[in-house]
Amino acid sequence: MSTVFINLHNMSQYIPRRSFLKKTAIAAAGTVALPYILPSGRLFAASGNRIANHVVFCMFAGGVRNIESVLQQRGNLMRGCFNGSGGIDPAIAPGIQALPSPIGATLQSQGTLYKQFRYAQGPTGHFNGHSTALTGNYTLQDLNIKEPPRNPTVFEYYRKHSDPIQSAMNAWWISNALGPYPSLNFSTYPGYGSIYGANFMQPATLISQLGANALSNPKEFTSAQMQSVNDMRNFFNESFSRSAAQNGNTILNENSDKELIQSFLQNTFDTALAGGLNDPWNVGEQFMNDDMFNVSAAERIIQQFKPELLVVNMQGVDICHSNYTQYCNNLRKADYAVSHLWQTIQNTPGMANDTILFVAPEHGRNLQPNTITDNYGQLALDHTSDNTSREIFCMVVGPPDKVQQNQVINDLTGESIDIVPTIAHILGFKDAIPGGMLPGRVLTEALA
Amino acid sequence: MQVLNKRFYASILLIILSFSHQGCKKETNYIYEVDDVLVTKDQSEKTVSKTMVEFISIAYADIFGSTISQNDLGILSLLYLAFGDKVIIEDVLVKNMLNSSEANLPSDAEMRSNIGLYIKNTYIKLYNREPNELESFTLSQKISDNEAMTSAMVYYAMMTSNEYRFY
Repeated sequence: MSTVFINLHNMSQYIPRRSFLKKTAIAAAGTVALPYILPSGRLFAASGNRIANHVVFCMFAGGVRNIESVLQQRGNLMRGCFNGSGGIDPAIAPGIQALPSPIGATLQSQGTLYKQFRYAQGPTGHFNGHSTALTGNYTLQDLNIKEPPRNPTVFEYYRKHSDPIQSAMNAWWISNALGPYPSLNFSTYPGYGSIYGANFMQPATLISQLGANALSNPKEFTSAQMQSVNDMRNFFNESFSRSAAQNGNTILNENSDKELIQSFLQNTFDTALAGGLNDPWNVGEQFMNDDMFNVSAAERIIQQFKPELLVVNMQGVDICHSNYTQYCNNLRKADYAVSHLWQTIQNTPGMANDTILFVAPEHGRNLQPNTITDNYGQLALDHTSDNTSREIFCMVVGPPDKVQQNQVINDLTGESIDIVPTIAHILGFKDAIPGGMLPGRVLTEALA
Repeated sequence: MQVLNKRFYASILLIILSFSHQGCKKETNYIYEVDDVLVTKDQSEKTVSKTMVEFISIAYADIFGSTISQNDLGILSLLYLAFGDKVIIEDVLVKNMLNSSEANLPSDAEMRSNIGLYIKNTYIKLYNREPNELESFTLSQKISDNEAMTSAMVYYAMMTSNEYRFY
């Protein structure tokens, strides 16, 4: 959803100059004499200077080692992301499916690649890594996987501190799994929480046959009937003092947005039931895995709603705990997916040339393997907080006027906790976040 | 002294007679009964939000008139977890239940044959309380003034209202 910012400078062209000067003087005097608390809790509106109006963060998660990604020691397994012509290591090649080539130039050439990024602190667990990437704070205390994070998520910062406050429709978290991941769309931090949370969807469960059986055949009401239903519901709600928002366990969309989202869900079910999601990218059904399906669902949201902030993850590579070659195979599929995601963004009016894409694993994997051998004689890898499991990459991709193109940063630069402040800087609300909440820094060297 | 003795024996006799009288009294059997009482909860006392499992299983029972199976509860719980806006997912869930051929609601004819009774029963079923005068009157007007109003519409509106989410 492209946002048009009307600041004083822009407004001045619609008001006669004398009137404008007079009103500006009065407004300035009023600001000095009577500062007031904005709904966001701040005294003054944020500057609103944005670098781009959309950010998509693709968490290349599941635990990816730099050895197999940016260092390409088993060949270039990520042809959509990275430059490099190295063929796949013959030792694993028989276990790698022949995916179509990714479309377009590599993402690396369209942005800045940090080859020595770090997940520097905290256990190298998937939920810890996700929580760190989405809150901009390492999880150094006990992490309760049954509860939302203790620090505000990037979604809450974005919705609360943007000016004007943003609706939930503009913020989406698309997860490939349930478990603790649904709770990452808002935190328990006082003053933030569900009222600033993001829309969440886990497509693999929701858009399934079971989901279609239970949710795709609703009672239809005519618009006149819906008017009567809404009228009745309003009457019921007027005589009851509590609302769903007070549960604290749900985000809330605007009423008009609810209808759009329900329509989107229905359309997605209809498409899925007609077989339209079995192979949405025409790569061959045999290649589609959960990561690709999850990213394709995120693409549907991008095309439908053009959100300003969307985070999507993939975790198929975590099969590496027991099958190294399949890990490499899924790495290629995840690479294809993120490459396709970028193409979709560029083909979506309103987001093309106005979106910055972040790509980063949540953590790496160990240097030393465990004892499980796959069919190709390869030993599996866990992630237990050794130094190698803290080594990751990060890519910041965007149009040339917003992101440094074809830049590779080879030295030790950047951490997982830097992504949230950088997103905040890009979307123009960084300065409105109270000091001390985000220990990371803005990755300025990636920005044009 | 003799007078005293007479009084003494008379007293003894009276005591014996009084005890013998008590001993012959027929025992009374008390039977305590409890009248049927409708236990309801005032709106202001509804402060606890239904959990996911409570919402799904209560909604299922209210629409189908039977207990949800563990298998179905498990499936619906996963679907519920897979979407972040619970108001939306509850809305979709209720609409799908209402569209089931096994939905067991009062028919539209039943609703219109005695609107007052329908409203009272529906409030008790869905809100666990009787409607107050204003609620009865207003909802009755809404039903009687609108020929297109159906029982499913009333259920849908009540089951997606804020009060239905609390107990």
